Amino acid sequence: MKLSQTSGVPIYQQIAEAFRTDILSGKMKQGEYLPSIRGLAKELKISVITTMKAYELLEEEGLVTAMQGKGFQVNTQDNEMLREQQMRRVENSINDAIKAARNAGIEDEELREIFDTMLSIKE
Amino acid sequence: MEKVDAAIQIKGLSKKFKGFALDIPELSVPKGFSTALIGENGAGKTTLLNILSGIRLDYQGDIKFFDRWSDKDREQTDCPVREMIGYTGPGSYFLPAWTVKQVEKVNALLFEHFHRDQYERYVDILQIANLGKGGKDKKVSDLSDGNKMKLMLAGVLARDTEMLLLDEPASPLDPLMRDVLCNLMREYIEQGEGEKTVFFSTHNIADMENVTDYAIIMEQGHVAEQGFVEDLKEKYVLVKGEAEDIPVAEKILYSITKNAYGYEGICLAEDMNKLAGLDTEVSTPSLSQISVAVMKKGSKIHLQ
Repeated sequence: MKLSQTSGVPIYQQIAEAFRTDILSGKMKQGEYLPSIRGLAKELKISVITTMKAYELLEEEGLVTAMQGKGFQVNTQDNEMLREQQMRRVENSINDAIKAARNAGIEDEELREIFDTMLSIKE
Repeated sequence: MEKVDAAIQIKGLSKKFKGFALDIPELSVPKGFSTALIGENGAGKTTLLNILSGIRLDYQGDIKFFDRWSDKDREQTDCPVREMIGYTGPGSYFLPAWTVKQVEKVNALLFEHFHRDQYERYVDILQIANLGKGGKDKKVSDLSDGNKMKLMLAGVLARDTEMLLLDEPASPLDPLMRDVLCNLMREYIEQGEGEKTVFFSTHNIADMENVTDYAIIMEQGHVAEQGFVEDLKEKYVLVKGEAEDIPVAEKILYSITKNAYGYEGICLAEDMNKLAGLDTEVSTPSLSQISVAVMKKGSKIHLQ
């Protein structure tokens, strides 16, 4: 896990993102436990409360469940919910691109062209 | 946030000195976390830690340890609280003529759960003395201030405790050793699995930020601000802006630093909408920036 103190992205979000990726990609399977809060804090040299906040964020997103006295367990990933979440991330990224284009004064038609070109390259 | 138990609960605590009064109506130190006590010189940090550690007994108020024993209980010989708390002070409390070896013997005599092998491990990790080359015969008076602090830390870490009260542990340490101290504090918290607590005072907020879960900021004898660090970082926002907006911004910002080209300051997140329309750059403040802002604000405003 690569954490940056200077990226402007809060550390807890960086941690949550790392686990989110592992869970959504299937690298972490349902029923598995996240590392203990205090153990992870020690390993990453960050405070306990930052780790806790990252885990709470994952819990809010429905990716993990807090099990009394046992830690945080990875949930069954509901395919529909998963798809919806991934959809939201795609939309957000496209939104960012549109914003950047507007700021740069790029016409919509040109933006579409860029998008198509990039799609064809990726194929 | 899961429900948090308190390692220490304070109620109606007061201590008056000439020209200074410590006054804390209510305060809790969360169990299983590392809490930093922050404040200017003379804010009352050491007075509070002396009261909690039992060095100072001439005060009014009630203290409860581990949700079970009162400060009166603590003074009874059969009460386990003193065994459960490890305290290090701002100055060395070992006699100058003692050697590193004798400090070990004294600790073993004074405390039931003192582990000599652990003590040697910490003397080694903290690089207090070279164990192989007769380093344990070194006298306390021959140690640097940093090494005296490290010797006290080795003493408390080698005991089975539930809470560490550390008065300015980082101050005499060099940056490398501060890093080691942070690691040892995290290791202690981790071993406790939510049961062990660290409460330490510090001026080196930036160095200690990554081992601070809860912050208590004191100002002139009372608590000016407190909270879990991640919550404080949502309560306050760091704002930077242009010089022409200073007249508007200084009315809204919690604290502000101005120069010829612009301003920088801390704003309460709930006041951010009042800055709408100004050209600003907004980011999450560090604990250090929040603390400085609260301390600058002084005693004029008390936030809860």
